[in-house]
Amino acid sequence: MTTKAYDLVIVGSGISGAIIAYQLGKQGKKVLILEAGQEVPVDRSGYMQTFYKANAKTPESPYPPTTQNPQASTPENPLGLPNPALENVPRYTVLQINAWRKPDQCYFTYPPQPPGLTGDSQEALFAFASSYERIGGGTTWHWLGTSLRLFPNDFELKTQYGQGVDWPGGKKFYQALVPYYEKATNEIGVAGDKVALDKLYKQFGVEPSGSYGPNYNYPMPPIVDSMVDAAFGQVTSLTVDGNPVYTTPTPQGRNSLPGDRRQCAGNTNCIPICPIQAKYDATVTLANALQTGNVDIRYRCVASNIRVDDTTRQVTGIDYISYDDHLGPPTGHGTAVGTKYLLAAHAIETPKLLLMSNKTKGFPNGVANSSGQVGRNLMDHIMYLAWGLAKDPVYSYRGPLATSGFESLRDGAFRSKRSAYRIEIGNEGWQWAANDPYTTLADFVFGQNNSQLNGNSVNQHGQPLRFDPTLPANSQLFGAQLVNTLNGIYIRQIRLGYLIEQLPDPDNRVQLSAEKDHLGLYRPQVTYRLRSNYERDAFVSAKQVSTEIFNAMGATEYTQAPPPPRLYGTPDQVTATNFQYRGQNFKFYGAGHIVGTYRMGDSKTNSVLNSRQQSWDHSNLYMVGSGVFPTVATGNPTLTIAALALQAADNILEDLNKTSTETEEALADAS
Amino acid sequence: MSSEMDNFIGLSAVLTGFSHNLLAPPLDPVDIKAEYLPFFKRKIAQESGDPNLAGQIFQKYSALHAQGLTPQQIGAAMLDPSNGEDFVLACRKLIFMWYSGAWPTLIPAAGSTPASTVSDMISAKSYTASLVWQVMQSHPMGDSNYRYGYWAKAPAPLSDYTGN
Repeated sequence: MTTKAYDLVIVGSGISGAIIAYQLGKQGKKVLILEAGQEVPVDRSGYMQTFYKANAKTPESPYPPTTQNPQASTPENPLGLPNPALENVPRYTVLQINAWRKPDQCYFTYPPQPPGLTGDSQEALFAFASSYERIGGGTTWHWLGTSLRLFPNDFELKTQYGQGVDWPGGKKFYQALVPYYEKATNEIGVAGDKVALDKLYKQFGVEPSGSYGPNYNYPMPPIVDSMVDAAFGQVTSLTVDGNPVYTTPTPQGRNSLPGDRRQCAGNTNCIPICPIQAKYDATVTLANALQTGNVDIRYRCVASNIRVDDTTRQVTGIDYISYDDHLGPPTGHGTAVGTKYLLAAHAIETPKLLLMSNKTKGFPNGVANSSGQVGRNLMDHIMYLAWGLAKDPVYSYRGPLATSGFESLRDGAFRSKRSAYRIEIGNEGWQWAANDPYTTLADFVFGQNNSQLNGNSVNQHGQPLRFDPTLPANSQLFGAQLVNTLNGIYIRQIRLGYLIEQLPDPDNRVQLSAEKDHLGLYRPQVTYRLRSNYERDAFVSAKQVSTEIFNAMGATEYTQAPPPPRLYGTPDQVTATNFQYRGQNFKFYGAGHIVGTYRMGDSKTNSVLNSRQQSWDHSNLYMVGSGVFPTVATGNPTLTIAALALQAADNILEDLNKTSTETEEALADAS
Repeated sequence: MSSEMDNFIGLSAVLTGFSHNLLAPPLDPVDIKAEYLPFFKRKIAQESGDPNLAGQIFQKYSALHAQGLTPQQIGAAMLDPSNGEDFVLACRKLIFMWYSGAWPTLIPAAGSTPASTVSDMISAKSYTASLVWQVMQSHPMGDSNYRYGYWAKAPAPLSDYTGN
């Protein structure tokens, strides 16, 4: 079946696809969205029930398909992870990280570890640590809401610091993006503190007129700081590599006032799901797009191939396979036809689709891939976590998950030597860092010591970590003593997360696996390393800076050194994200920021897209999302993704109007 | 003579440190106790192989309670090793269940890996009814009844959350 002709066919209904559909729909353009996943539900109560029942409250836990089935637990598959070969729309989940060498449990496959490596080898392969969703509304269902802009220097890392690459045009790209940042801020409805952000931008040489536009302010007043923020805010006397250390309230995509959506009620659950949709997600924009009357969406339609005319090099259609039940057979197939085409399927599925589309004569390496860059330069913000107990109660586990950060360390001359980072301040105690409240609970109910609070543990500075020195090691408490001990711990828990800039490495890449999903489509094979000491040196810095911050606020550090990396052995024996550097053991975490696999650039020889987010090879094909980023930069990507989508919408509209003008002129000439 | 549910709630109050009234309010639309009691009995019977273990636990509690002992004295007596390993472990799992809404499995130490605990969430309702969030003077993550901005101020005293 071939669809009616649309002006634009979009693959993916996440924030980028939804924004562009809305922008074009408002202008009367006819748009079709193909969404591989299930429909946006009428309300989110079903997702909430799935979340409440889930054993592991991972970012993906509320959403279909199910991330784990404890009833299916076996010794080889203790979590009961589903077999991706049996699923129509599998995706990578955080629970799969430790099963990365088990293709019957992990959607991604990985090449074998090269032989003869040691734990500190730069060639060591790791599991990728970040995940995404394949459902209507996409991955913003589980985004945090952090809505930071990148700095001008983020756009020219090569020019300024001799590292990585520049974005096309460097700072000029940033300047062109400024008005779209404003629009993106409005679309998301960001709550932000302009005065605090002005101070930050000024530190990095950006005047308000260059960062927000002359009279710009956020559409919502700032979200109030947490008591955890206030404790970290007292740290003002430190410097790191010449930069002052101070906190900045985080601009956030959640309502600080009631509006079209509810006011944030501090559910402390932005990831994986805001129960009341106080946090923006792409279903907001998607609904607006559909209400234009010009946008159609087809759910459960998985794009399987991009058709290209081998003479004109124009994309002529996108083949898709449909299904009804996630585990059932395919129920149909078709080809979506439009004048222009847009891939908005995030940074794993988009390159996979391009690489799979290798059946057209002249395109054996897939569509849009004359540069050979499709799938390359996979990046994330690689994360270092540090945690501790504050001296006084800070009442953790309350408010949005993060409301402030240390943004003042994101740029500086040090970037010629090591990766920059921002530091996110967590309001969720040790939930991420140590699986609390459950780890500490089990320790004091059953006399264990995995939290280090109930034994003879000492930290890296030799400080004893037993919470109550009057209690014996491995205490088993009950009643009021249990209540008071746990209370004293939980209300003091603090956590820092460093979002470390990973450099583009062409060998970090998405390829086609030999393994397939239930529709017979290839699964991604992922090659992922931390090859540069530039990145690893940032871990050393992060570790040291955490200690300095905790000391400055009188906190006790509980960061646990991870076990040493194990590169070889059975799938259960090998580690996934552990590495050694300068004699220290580290474990990295994912930030959920999947970036770089179809990057923009100045030249068709080293990039997939031009600065208009248009394929160098096929002028009627565009791609959006964080896959277009040439570098991962120092801010969470979603606001920039939204700004780029708004910019791409203007480019596509311009091209569509040009096309229709040309057609009208041709018709006039013919008559 | 007390009912089984009375003993279950009485024992649970002693072991968890929460008030009887908070575990089993007079008006109890959530009624998590009705889910926990049969679940608890079934699990400990399965795990100990002794279908009478729950009955013994409640009987012992009832006897101690009848003696007019303090909660501290009753709790210490219930958790005394002389009651037997299965008996004490069942009481400790009862605490964990109320606190987490999940049923624990203890994994013994092996080599350099220390002893740890994994758990299965009993139901969606048990998650939102779990007590550990009250211990931190907060709410279950994802189930807040508070209003905007509460996180900038100290919460109500702990006693408001435990009822004790």
